[in-house]
Amino acid sequence: MYPDLLNLYGDGGNIICLKHRCDWRGIKANVIDFTLNQEKELNIGDIFFIGGGSDKSQNIVYQHFLDYKNDLQDLIEDEAVFLAICGGYQFLGEKYIDAGGNEVPGLGIFDYYTQSEEGRLIGNIIIENNLNLDPLTIVGFENHGGRTYHDYNSLGSVKVGYGNNGKDKEEGMVYKNCVGTYLHGPILPKNPHFADYLILKALKRKYNINNISKLDDKFEYGAHEKVMKLYSK
Amino acid sequence: MKIRYFLSVIIGKLIIIFLKLFKRSATALPGKISLKICPYLLEVINDRCENKLIITGTNGKTTTNNLIHHILTSSYDFVLSNLKGANMPQGIASAFLKDIKKKYNWGIFEVDEGSFSEVLQHIHPDYIIITNFFRDQLDRYGEIESTVSIVYESIKPLDSTLILNADDPLVANFKSLKKNSVYYGVVENYFSNQHQNVIETRFCPSCNDNLNYEYFNYGQIGKFGCEGCGFDNPPYNYSIIRIKGNGKNCFDIKAKEEIFENVCFKYEGIYNAYNCCAALTFCLEIGMISDVVIERIENFEYHLGRMEIIEFDQKILKITLAKNPIGLTEVLKNISYDNKKKSILFILNDNPADGRDVSWIWDANFETLNVIKNLESIYCSGRRAEDMALRIKYTNFPTHLINVDDSPKDAIMSIINENVDSIYLLPTYTAVFQTRDIVFDYIKNSHHYLDLSKFIKNFFS
Repeated sequence: MYPDLLNLYGDGGNIICLKHRCDWRGIKANVIDFTLNQEKELNIGDIFFIGGGSDKSQNIVYQHFLDYKNDLQDLIEDEAVFLAICGGYQFLGEKYIDAGGNEVPGLGIFDYYTQSEEGRLIGNIIIENNLNLDPLTIVGFENHGGRTYHDYNSLGSVKVGYGNNGKDKEEGMVYKNCVGTYLHGPILPKNPHFADYLILKALKRKYNINNISKLDDKFEYGAHEKVMKLYSK
Repeated sequence: MKIRYFLSVIIGKLIIIFLKLFKRSATALPGKISLKICPYLLEVINDRCENKLIITGTNGKTTTNNLIHHILTSSYDFVLSNLKGANMPQGIASAFLKDIKKKYNWGIFEVDEGSFSEVLQHIHPDYIIITNFFRDQLDRYGEIESTVSIVYESIKPLDSTLILNADDPLVANFKSLKKNSVYYGVVENYFSNQHQNVIETRFCPSCNDNLNYEYFNYGQIGKFGCEGCGFDNPPYNYSIIRIKGNGKNCFDIKAKEEIFENVCFKYEGIYNAYNCCAALTFCLEIGMISDVVIERIENFEYHLGRMEIIEFDQKILKITLAKNPIGLTEVLKNISYDNKKKSILFILNDNPADGRDVSWIWDANFETLNVIKNLESIYCSGRRAEDMALRIKYTNFPTHLINVDDSPKDAIMSIINENVDSIYLLPTYTAVFQTRDIVFDYIKNSHHYLDLSKFIKNFFS
């Protein structure tokens, strides 16, 4: 969604990753851009990706996005797969409270909020996932000034780094098949188990398929392991 | 007051000697310590330079700086400049400590966007060149809009003459500062494209509406116009009006009313056309003789490893710094013009000076790898070699041709021994100097070996 506006920190790599991992298995996947002046029926989508953008971009997107709030809400309830990263993750919540105490409204699909606090949380991050995925770890890079507070299930617990708010050692949010996270890197290529989890959820919803073939993930886990080697405590 | 100055100079000099003894780079640390001892050291530098130029922007600072320095030294005796790319206050101070003079005709400084406002508090430039703004090291600078606005706000109170890239909307928008401004650019050429292949800003910096493009030269640089407010490229004072596609990097340049034909520059790439044009614009603006300027552009050679061409054993080895998405995209595009048998080595580090976040490689256009002809193998090295290999895998490039070795030295040895005609080494910032040293050590040693074998052969014959 909004690839021309919400495209910070290499997050477009997640799309490249999903597309290739489908292609390599002979699963036909079409990537459809949804943005200003290029609106599409949202219910044709199986996996939705929302990245983060600059403040300026997010303001432009907000007004436009609001018209689609109900559609998104229905899709999430209907177990469509969503991956929202950083600004996109914050966006799904109720509001963002900036450094001056001003409230910037979000889409309000979930009742969490994000607060700007002093100092950006920047660095490599390693979490242990709550999705029962093997391996247990998910690695990435975080870079955010906002702290998100919520009572939903988290994507994982923080082993190295900050996560949602640097306090409760939790990272991300999971509700049905919607995942919000602060992890860049981009997250999916280096964590193929998580990428395949999303693909499988989408296949299950659409075709009731319960397993997918394994790929040779030597390069993927090579990069994963390197982060572990350099940055795990 | 003076005591602090003298003390800072003595200690700075001692640190330089000390670092040289241990063969360590002395481009930043001496200045850093000296600035601690004497916080007004930059003012001293400001007072000693009769004229000053500051170069800022994301890409092309070091090349433009070195090129201008090379041109100026043909006509001026004393030019102070931080030539090695150390572009924060300590880098400027270190350059001064290495070359202390009572007076300089010119001070030419490249300044990192993040240090720009700090440096301007001490150094008051007569001219400022702004090359371009791209995303770079987001872990340090944050988003590109905030970088641009810091530079914009810092220039507001100054009366410097601005030399602006008219083809970058983010730079051209500095027109609204209503300073004395000179514009340069490059017209449509064989590098130009109708489609932008790397996502960069596409919105009008003036009113946020959509920018329409007639063509892109690279990134968001090209010929643009805004539907909303009419914002477009300011008319050029200096421009490259033709790039010859004959394998050499030769340009026709229009400088106000005059035209200079067939000016050749040793280093390829559309970005170098812009660097040349910026340097030429500045040098002609300060009244240098055009013949001298052109001669110096043509005989400019780089010895920094950022862009270096080395010939040995009938091979051509090129080292090119590639540190952000636009830079890497353009470097790969240049390689695609080379039809010879070749191998490429990427060295990806994630040290603080590289940017600790390596996700930027996913914003570069790697699809070019699949159209590069006669590409025999790819090597990935550096602290994050595996991330680079993974990025390349996701272009569908055959994985059995991708070699991963996180030791740069071993990787360089392997690629140098490949049976190819062209070797490309593409290091990130902190790997540049190391790469250069390894290559030169190898050449030196292998030639000793050759000489020795020749000697033995001659001896017995």
